[in-house]
Amino acid sequence: MRHSITAALERHRDYTQSFATEPYECAWATEAIFFIRVQELEGENPALQARVQVSPDGIHWADEGTEFQRIDQLGVSFVRVTHFGGWLRLEGSVEGEQARFNVNINLVLK
Amino acid sequence: MNEFSHPLLLSGRYRPLQNILAYDDFNQGQCGWIDLMNNFVLEGHKPRPSIVTKHRWGPVMLSNANFGYAGTHGAMNGLYSLKLATRPEANPYEQPPAPGAMSMAIKRMTSLPFANSGKLQLEMWYAYTPEQDRAGIGEKDIRAFGALFDIQDTEHRYFSAARYVNSVNGTLARKWQYAQAADVTDSEWAYDTEGDWCKRGIDPVWFGKRQSNGDADSFKWVPGGEEVLCYNESDDKINWSYFRLTIDTQRREYCELQSGRSTYSLQGVQPTLVAPYRGITSLLNPVIWIEADTTRRVFLFVDSVLISAE
Repeated sequence: MRHSITAALERHRDYTQSFATEPYECAWATEAIFFIRVQELEGENPALQARVQVSPDGIHWADEGTEFQRIDQLGVSFVRVTHFGGWLRLEGSVEGEQARFNVNINLVLK
Repeated sequence: MNEFSHPLLLSGRYRPLQNILAYDDFNQGQCGWIDLMNNFVLEGHKPRPSIVTKHRWGPVMLSNANFGYAGTHGAMNGLYSLKLATRPEANPYEQPPAPGAMSMAIKRMTSLPFANSGKLQLEMWYAYTPEQDRAGIGEKDIRAFGALFDIQDTEHRYFSAARYVNSVNGTLARKWQYAQAADVTDSEWAYDTEGDWCKRGIDPVWFGKRQSNGDADSFKWVPGGEEVLCYNESDDKINWSYFRLTIDTQRREYCELQSGRSTYSLQGVQPTLVAPYRGITSLLNPVIWIEADTTRRVFLFVDSVLISAE
C-alpha cells in the first residue's frame, strides 16, 4: 500500500511578519500539498504571501517556483508540488497594518 | 515482517522479552509514532493555558539522515529512521522549556491483554546530533534525550523514564537519570503556577523544576550513571547506539536501564504513583524525546524501536 503522511507543521501559530516553516524531510515522497488554514485574521488590509522552498541539506534554501495566491481571508488554501528532492518548507510574509494571521499549516506527502 | 525484521537479524541487535508488542522499523513508515501534543478541547480547538507550550514541540518525520557535506547516512538498517527535530529554541536549564525546545514522539497503545508477569521493555537503536548549521562540534548543544512509558492501570498513573543529561547550559554532563518526583506540591511541579492540568509526577519531561547542576524535581541521578556515549568528531557523523529500559508493571517498579554495554540496575526503584486520570485506564504510551540546550535544532534519529513484554 502507498505510504502517506500528513504532517502538522504549525498549530494555532500567529504570524505578524516574515516566517519560515521548520525544515521537513520528504525524500521518500513524490508528491506534496501544503495547506494553510487561516483560523483568525486581524488588522487593516491583511495579506499573507507564501512560497515553496527546496534544499539540499535542510539549511540552505532556494525558491521552488510554486507560490500561494495572496491570502486575505479566513479559510483553506493549498499548493501542489512534485519533484522536490529531500526537503521542503514554506517561506512567507505578512502585510497590513497591525496584521495577524492565526494559521494551521499541514504538509500532505505521498 | 519485512527484510529487516528477520529473526536472525533481530537477534543480533535486540533482546526482546517473550512477547513482542511492536517492532517499528521506520523503513515501513511512522508505525504509529506521532508528535506528542496537548488536548485541543477548548472553543476553537485551543489548548488549555499552561506555563509550558505543548503544541509547538518540533516535528517528527521520516529521515534518510541527509547532511550537506556527508550526503545521505541512511539508517542503521535500510534507508529511513524516525527523526525527532527540535525547533531552534531553548531556555536556560533552570527555566520551563521554551516552545519548540523539545521534540517528542509518542505511540498510543493499551496494556497487554494476555496473562503476563508484568515485565515491559522498550529497546531502540538511535543516534543524535545538532543541525550542522555552523562550524565546530555541536555536542554540547544537545541538552538531553530519553524514553519513557506513560502507564495507567486501575489504581495509578505513572511515568517510568530514563533521561541522558548530555549538557547543562553548555557544559557537558553525560549522566543518566530516571524519573521520580521530588516531594513538591502540584503547583511547585508546574513551576509555581496554579490550575495546570498536570499533577506532581505526571509529564516529568517538561514539568518539575531544574537546577543549574543538572538536578531536577522530576528526575534523580542513576547511581554510577556517568557514561560517555559515542558522539563522533563531526556533527554529520552519526553512530547508532543501543538503549533499553525494562520495568515491572505488576510491582510498579523499574528493573534495569541498558545503554550500549553498560547496564544500570534500578531494581526496586518506584516511579511516582498518581491517582488515575479520567478515561485512560489501561493506557500504555511509549514516548521518545530530545531536548535542545541552546537556540539550535537538535535531532534524535531512531533506526527502530522494539517494545516487548512477558
